Amino acid sequence: MRILTSRIAGHGLAPLVLTAILGCGELDISNTNAPTLETLTGAPTRTILARAATGIFSQSYNDVATEVTVYALYGREGYNLLGNDPRETQEQFRGPPDPTGRHSANWIGPYQTIRTVNTYLEALAVAPGMTPAEVKASQGFAKTVKAWMLHRVAVRTGALGVPVAVDQPLGGAPPPFVSFSAALQAANTLMDEAYQDLLAGGTAFPFTVPPGYTGFSTPATYARFNRALAAKMNVHRATFVNCTACWQQASTAMGLSFVTDAGLPASLATGVYYQYSTTANEPTNPVTEPIASQRYWVHPSIVNGAQSTAGVPDRRLTTKVRAAGRTLNLNDLVGTHKPVMYNSASDPTLANLAAPIPWINNEELLLLRAEINWFTNNQAAAVSDINLVRLQAGGLGPAAVTASSSTADFVTELLYNRTFSLMWTQGTRWIDARRHGRTTSLPIDRPGDIIYPNMVVPAAECDARRLPTPCTPL
Amino acid sequence: MKLPRCPWRTLSAVMLLALPAALAAQERRVTGLITRQGSGIPIEGVEVSVIAPIRSEPVRSGVDGRYAITVPAGVVRLQVRQIGYKRIEFTLPDGQSSADFAMAQDVFKLNEVVVSGQATTIERRSATTSIALVTAEELKRVPVPTVEAALTGKITGVNLQTNSGAPGGGIQMQIRGNNTVLGGFDPLYVVDGVIYSNAVVPSGRGLTNNAANAALEADAVNRLADLNPNDIASIEVLKGAAASSIYGSKAANGVVVITTTRGANGAPRFNVTQRFGRFEPLRLMEHRRWTQDSAVARYGAGVAPLFANNANPFFDNPAAIYKTSGPSYETVLDVSGGTANTKYFVAGNWKNDEGIELNTGAAKQGLRVNVDQTLGSTVDLKVSSVYNRNTNRRGWNNNCNNYGCHGYALTYIPSFINLAARNTEGFLSPVGIGNAANSNTIFLSEIGVNGEETNRFTGGATLAWRPNIGTGQTLRFVAGGGIDAFDQRNDVWSPNDLFHERVQALPGESVESGGRSKFVNWNVNAIHTGTVLGLNLSSSAGLQYEDRQLNTFSIRTQNLLPGQRNVNQGTNITANENLTQERTIAFYASEEVRLLSEKLLVRGGVRAERSSVMGDIDKYYVFPNVSSSYRFQNLLGNGNDVKIRAAYGETGNQPLFGQKFTNLLTPQLGGQQGIAVSGAAGFSGVEPERLKEIEGGIEGALYSERFTYEFTYFNRNTTNLLLNRVPEPSSGFATQVFNGGKINNWGYEAGVGFTPIQSASLMWVSRATFTHYDSKVVDLAGLPPFFPAASGFGNLGRTRVEQGKQITAIVGFDFDAQGNRAAALSQLGNSAPKFRMGFSNDVTWKGFSFNTVVDWQQGGSVINLTEYLQDDGRTSADWGSPEWQTRYNGYLKGVIAPYIEDASFVKVREISVNYDIPKSIYSRLGGVRNARVGIAARNAFMFAGYRGLDPEVANFGSAAIRNNLDITPYPPSRNILLNFSLGY
Repeated sequence: MRILTSRIAGHGLAPLVLTAILGCGELDISNTNAPTLETLTGAPTRTILARAATGIFSQSYNDVATEVTVYALYGREGYNLLGNDPRETQEQFRGPPDPTGRHSANWIGPYQTIRTVNTYLEALAVAPGMTPAEVKASQGFAKTVKAWMLHRVAVRTGALGVPVAVDQPLGGAPPPFVSFSAALQAANTLMDEAYQDLLAGGTAFPFTVPPGYTGFSTPATYARFNRALAAKMNVHRATFVNCTACWQQASTAMGLSFVTDAGLPASLATGVYYQYSTTANEPTNPVTEPIASQRYWVHPSIVNGAQSTAGVPDRRLTTKVRAAGRTLNLNDLVGTHKPVMYNSASDPTLANLAAPIPWINNEELLLLRAEINWFTNNQAAAVSDINLVRLQAGGLGPAAVTASSSTADFVTELLYNRTFSLMWTQGTRWIDARRHGRTTSLPIDRPGDIIYPNMVVPAAECDARRLPTPCTPL
Repeated sequence: MKLPRCPWRTLSAVMLLALPAALAAQERRVTGLITRQGSGIPIEGVEVSVIAPIRSEPVRSGVDGRYAITVPAGVVRLQVRQIGYKRIEFTLPDGQSSADFAMAQDVFKLNEVVVSGQATTIERRSATTSIALVTAEELKRVPVPTVEAALTGKITGVNLQTNSGAPGGGIQMQIRGNNTVLGGFDPLYVVDGVIYSNAVVPSGRGLTNNAANAALEADAVNRLADLNPNDIASIEVLKGAAASSIYGSKAANGVVVITTTRGANGAPRFNVTQRFGRFEPLRLMEHRRWTQDSAVARYGAGVAPLFANNANPFFDNPAAIYKTSGPSYETVLDVSGGTANTKYFVAGNWKNDEGIELNTGAAKQGLRVNVDQTLGSTVDLKVSSVYNRNTNRRGWNNNCNNYGCHGYALTYIPSFINLAARNTEGFLSPVGIGNAANSNTIFLSEIGVNGEETNRFTGGATLAWRPNIGTGQTLRFVAGGGIDAFDQRNDVWSPNDLFHERVQALPGESVESGGRSKFVNWNVNAIHTGTVLGLNLSSSAGLQYEDRQLNTFSIRTQNLLPGQRNVNQGTNITANENLTQERTIAFYASEEVRLLSEKLLVRGGVRAERSSVMGDIDKYYVFPNVSSSYRFQNLLGNGNDVKIRAAYGETGNQPLFGQKFTNLLTPQLGGQQGIAVSGAAGFSGVEPERLKEIEGGIEGALYSERFTYEFTYFNRNTTNLLLNRVPEPSSGFATQVFNGGKINNWGYEAGVGFTPIQSASLMWVSRATFTHYDSKVVDLAGLPPFFPAASGFGNLGRTRVEQGKQITAIVGFDFDAQGNRAAALSQLGNSAPKFRMGFSNDVTWKGFSFNTVVDWQQGGSVINLTEYLQDDGRTSADWGSPEWQTRYNGYLKGVIAPYIEDASFVKVREISVNYDIPKSIYSRLGGVRNARVGIAARNAFMFAGYRGLDPEVANFGSAAIRNNLDITPYPPSRNILLNFSLGY
């Protein structure tokens, strides 16, 4: 006891205090939860850049689910009748749009991709060990994604415009909104720039191209994908903002794309896809679900609007849509048929979370070519393209329209085919109705329901500009 | 009492030789009897010590109330004290060798000693700030599931809220309002000197239910729930910045200092308590009654056959899921005793509570060993250690988007469906109609698993060395430290047999998750008291070190093999791990001066610290405090002191781990892991929030301390707030952390205590507490009004932080003059109550004691989305009534105002009746010291105009800004228990 007391009292404290003052423990505790931004901006290596390229591929999926499933409601491709959120049958169909909630979607997602691309492009400029061709190939790839994202947000917000000059450090004044037409043009210019980079990009990308790009995984073939997107963007510009010259640019781009008449009908599916997977941590198809599920339903106007030839209905309906065997009425929106285009091929009543969603494929390109042909005074070719898709994709006979039909009639036939070929892939029915001034002809289910002319500017975007919400910064 | 002397003591003895001869004089022995005033019952364990001319080690009275102490010759001053009694100081004349004392009960604890620093205490009578103190007696009358619940209604300045009725805890405590948006919002808990984690580690229940915020909506337990309430001797709540400043930059939300029971000198004593009880639902969801016509109109002709045999079928499905629980029990055992040198307290408990929801409950086991050892005459060692095991099954409630939980599904299940019906093979069937068609939650309770187990060790030691440095002054060195570590595991299984799983794309889900926490802290302190230049000074200085780690993980599997639940038995496995670690080093010094015959007390101190969570880890942040009290002794007659006090202090709120980092996302595609910019930007220069508070108060006693009163006003500003700037989202970033802005919280707290009757056989003590606070967002550093994380859902009523408004404001759309939806959001409510009052009454009469605690909350608002969902499902009980009509009109127009309801309530928190069995009955049993039987009820009654289940509700759990969001929570329950205790 004596010794112990003495030790503790006399000597025990001294080392303790000493330890405390001299070696209190290191305070520089690092973050093991995730890599930090400095990984990319500090001293990027070839490996880090390849990882960032994968990040860009991954972020190109941002808000694809929104475009497919939410635009489907706006364009009356279908309903969400799960009933877990009343907004799905109320706000989404009749407004008013909530710029802090549902109507803030599909904005930061694409812009986040743009931020990643910009950071990547900066890192690319300083990273050692890359050949000039590799740098060009990387730039061409990244700019293609960026241009497409810019195009998507421009289409989302329509006449309200979008900010374009977003490549600036955080904390400065928010970049100005530019008009719909200027935004589409900026996206298109960047897409053309990307194309030139890809052409100078050598034979291979200095990173792994993920699934979904079969046939488009080298700079040269990826360039054909780039031109397909450019053709679509120019068609959008021509129709959305009356850019007459854009028809010709669209036509040129189409010629350099992967559009083909050969190998039909199998080649209809040639293209680039959002490839989903059931592998852990990878994105899964956002639409597919067992037929017993209550979430997604196909709009009755599609179910009842299919054309048939000799009593055989459009194959695009019968393969993509299936009777649920029950009727679901939620707040007077009535579902009877389920979208099954992404379900299991062997048993369409089951989900297939790995089902890819087309980003752009030959079937869409043929329809775009039809549209370009009609509006570049090549009506016969346009009708021929339409009939090709009708036959190969839908098993239908020739359309009622001819080269001498009115433009209005042609557009009606075009939009019928676009709806059936592209339903539940990109919100085509809503976008097409908007760009051809046909929102009033979309079906209205209940009194008071509306067709949105666009999505609104998210509240945070207004707040950052000190504008009251809802705002139109343009 | 001769103790071996160490060399050091020899040295001090030499020093003592130089002192006046009085010390070396002869000793004498004094004996006497100590009894309770009025009843004359002997009091055991009373400390008697000499305080002048020298200070002696105390002796304790025996079971018979007798004591014997050796004192120096001449006139001496004795101090007689015991917890729960008023302290007595007595001047013993020269030559007198006996003194009896009758001690008065200190019902309002004016003589208690409370914490004033890391290693210092102060008598409550002189305290310079308002400190709430609750002792074991008040805590244990009616057993509680978790410690903080026992504080409800008993202390001022504290707002406690139960998040849901689920068994096993889940409570948030707010001290003096909401002081942060993004920072930590929890008080700092210190148990026997060890910093105690109150982490909330959510289960995977939110994931399996596709909740919008899977982590926050999992109805998780805060880990204070592990602490065994039976072990606690006292809880002190340091509310103000001046009091909590000593704890530095984690103390902005107050500090809760918990002390556990320790052994006392004497023969071993056993106490055994056995409790039996049960839980009963307090309120359940009510449902609309249907006719065939209304049912067919809603669900189609297919439901007509359900009305064939009965025109008005009605099945109370909620009552089939939430029922009076099976028996619950608790066994508490403790033994304590010791010698003058060694004292011990060993306690164990075994508790099992069954929940009102089918297949839910909570259980705890614990073993505590506290040992006090003196080493020589100048060194004391206190060791505390406890092991706790805590398990719970909290069932399936709160927000869920797949109808895989009870309340949410029930809002959509019409009452003409009998959920409990089984077919001839004994199987339950899905509802079949409406939104919850693919659901049967009774089946869920039968086969689903939502379980949690936590194992925890908390241990600490304090070593105090008090060298003898002469009369009139003392010097102490105190070194303390400890470790608190827990391991929590959660297991959630939603089998693919469940009807709502069968329709998922990936049916069947299992989530294995949990957390490991380790807190280590230690401190060294030096405390000197004495008279310097005629001033009565107490000085202390020290060093503190803390290291806090929390590692959480989850492994989620979807698409399970039929019947399988291990996480490797499905196709889609996702894993997550998150590690946080904070380390802080601090120095402090404080000074206490007593002036004017100890009537005036002035304290001041400063703490400087640096921490790993700051942007600049080398920078010291300094937090000063100064406070003072003045006692007007006997101002209103003898024994009627009046004390005024004033304090100013600064504390901080540390940034959270990670707020200084800008993380990249690591998405995976095609088997490759990529990196990409995330939406959340950190701030590499992040600093702590700083709270500055002034506090003033008056307190005192009247009528010989039969009436006490206390009033405190506080006004605090939190500056340098941790905020998320919301950059324009077109930048790609959704948020960026920064420091700025200011929140003001102010309020007053009042407490009165009254002893209307105080006689030998009858005693009635009545107490009331009152707490009011209000807040204002003074400055948001240019930020527009914003919705903090987990503020609510879209336009369905949300908390919004806006300059010039209360921080707890709830906004949403109201009706405009035309009865349509207004153009802009407006404030519809406030989650903070107008005031909170507590009333407690204790009556003892002979062997009987009767106790009640009533808790009254006035004002505040709840966002009642349960009702909104019921209206959406067309199942509201008041369907068709005028009230429903107004509400439904709002529902149709997107107006949420009718669903923002008043949160006022009166709850009878505790009722108990206990009877101390007279000794004559058990005297023959031999060795039995006392025996008691009783009956107690917790949350016995609730009176609330609220239309939901319970206005005390938080779908998102504990949050910085109290969030009264009601989405089909676990319903509230009443707990009734029988108690038997025996002491040997």
